[in-house]
Amino acid sequence: MTALQRRLRQYGHLWFTLPGLVFFSVFLVYPMLTAFRLSVVDWNGLGNESRFVGLDNFREALTSVTFYRAAWHNIVIFLAILVVQHTIGLFLAVQLNARPRFMEVYRTILFLPVILSLVATGFIWTLILSPNIGILNPFLSDIGLGFLAQPWLNDITWALPSVIVVQAWNHLGWAIVIYMSGLQNVPRELREAAQIDGANGWQRFWNVTFPLLSPAFTSLTVITFIQNIRVFDVVYVLTGPIGSPAGRTDVLGTLVYRMAFGAAGVTSADIRFSYAIAIAVLIFIFMLICSTGLLYGLRRREVEA
Amino acid sequence: MKLRRAVEVGVRHFVLCAASLVVLVPIAYVVIASFKTIPDFFANPYGLPEEWAWQNYVSAWRDARISITLTNSIIVTATAVSVSTFLAALISYGLSRRERPLAMFLYTFFVSGLLIPVQMIILPLFVLLRQFGLLGTLFALICPYIAMGLPLGVLILTPLIATLPRDLSDAGRIDGASELQIFLHIILPVLRPGLASVVILNGVWMWNEFFIPLVLALKADTQTLPVGIMSFVGTYNTEWGLIFASVVIATAPVVIAYILMSRQFVAGLTAGAVKG
Repeated sequence: MTALQRRLRQYGHLWFTLPGLVFFSVFLVYPMLTAFRLSVVDWNGLGNESRFVGLDNFREALTSVTFYRAAWHNIVIFLAILVVQHTIGLFLAVQLNARPRFMEVYRTILFLPVILSLVATGFIWTLILSPNIGILNPFLSDIGLGFLAQPWLNDITWALPSVIVVQAWNHLGWAIVIYMSGLQNVPRELREAAQIDGANGWQRFWNVTFPLLSPAFTSLTVITFIQNIRVFDVVYVLTGPIGSPAGRTDVLGTLVYRMAFGAAGVTSADIRFSYAIAIAVLIFIFMLICSTGLLYGLRRREVEA
Repeated sequence: MKLRRAVEVGVRHFVLCAASLVVLVPIAYVVIASFKTIPDFFANPYGLPEEWAWQNYVSAWRDARISITLTNSIIVTATAVSVSTFLAALISYGLSRRERPLAMFLYTFFVSGLLIPVQMIILPLFVLLRQFGLLGTLFALICPYIAMGLPLGVLILTPLIATLPRDLSDAGRIDGASELQIFLHIILPVLRPGLASVVILNGVWMWNEFFIPLVLALKADTQTLPVGIMSFVGTYNTEWGLIFASVVIATAPVVIAYILMSRQFVAGLTAGAVKG
């Protein structure tokens, strides 16, 4: 056996990674590197004229009101959904974890929205909220609560809360199953010991169970952050690429899309490919910093059973 | 005490039923709406249809071109998910001896792909696929999907292969099987539960994905279901019955698969979420 053959044999396994590596490098890593390169030029996406502009695109984004408004909406959506996940989601997980009869049926139903596409989810809620064909407003007026009727998605005040409700409806299943798998790691003996010590139900939950759920709390928080910093589909389907009404539901995802590909009310002269990429790079950096920070901060408070 | 326990159980079922209704009622209304004619939407907004309009499904199939977008969705998802899962299994087998520094590096390299946000790569990807001449074909979706499915696949499969007893592959080697034969005939079969998780996780997002085909499926006849429905809305935004029929057709396959295998879905998706 020659040295080369031995060498090949020794690393024989690694050859198996090659086909995957090709796809991964060409369609994921290379575009990623290109994104950094394109973010420092001035390019409209067509032709090959591109002028190096350094950090101008970033400077422009970071001084633009539209950018901060979109980022603010992302943060509001994230925080609102976070609250829903950690309250309603946790509460439902605790109920399911008590193993009531039909537990499997309940869990299957409550997790169902997660597997629906956000486009389908958007249409499901268009049917409920639309001022045109919506069923909520006629229902409210028929039961004598007509004064509560709103043009939900077209209303300056109610559009963003409506988007949040829809996104929360689709994502709640994550909280339920993540907390359920966390609850399975809470030893029964610990809760029983606390009971013997005279702790009531709430004390047992707050002082024994909840601290042991901290790993679930951490992963759910980080997942929710990543999901909502990237939110796009729901907004696009419900209120369109310009985040109607009057940009009240505009998020970073729709901003990038609009800058790169245009939308109603955006002329082709406004299309700025490399500016859009610069914003996407900013989202990436922001996401990386925040999720690392969240992970680091939340891991420190985790306790072991 | 007994009474208290009964009340507790009663409240629990009440809460869970209420939550289930919040999930099911909106979905049920979409199914009902898919059978309504346009006047029906306004005449009785939240009642059952006067007359069940099966016609909506027929026109969705023909006029909303669901027959084309459904075929595209099936081709894209099936090809991408099977190639991606197979390649991920190959990678994981290659990396299973993780003590080698190069293998450790490659593992981290692949898994860190999970952090790449699609918004950032979508525009360069658009340019790249245009250069390759793939824009306007289904490969413009299949190729990126294959790459994007790899990180999760490697993340789930590598630890599974690492726990397989080494005797398993050694036995094959003694019998004179090549490394590829060992992989195909010994490793893959025992890996089946892990492969199922990867197929479910990646299959669900590929089927539902909206943003990527919105940007990359330029030609109308390469669109997948979610984009096809959206573009139809842009053109005929008053044909509500037809739109909801399309939504039902697009959603039914995943929901049926989910109901049949809900346990695997929940387990698979949670594994991906907690690790990711």
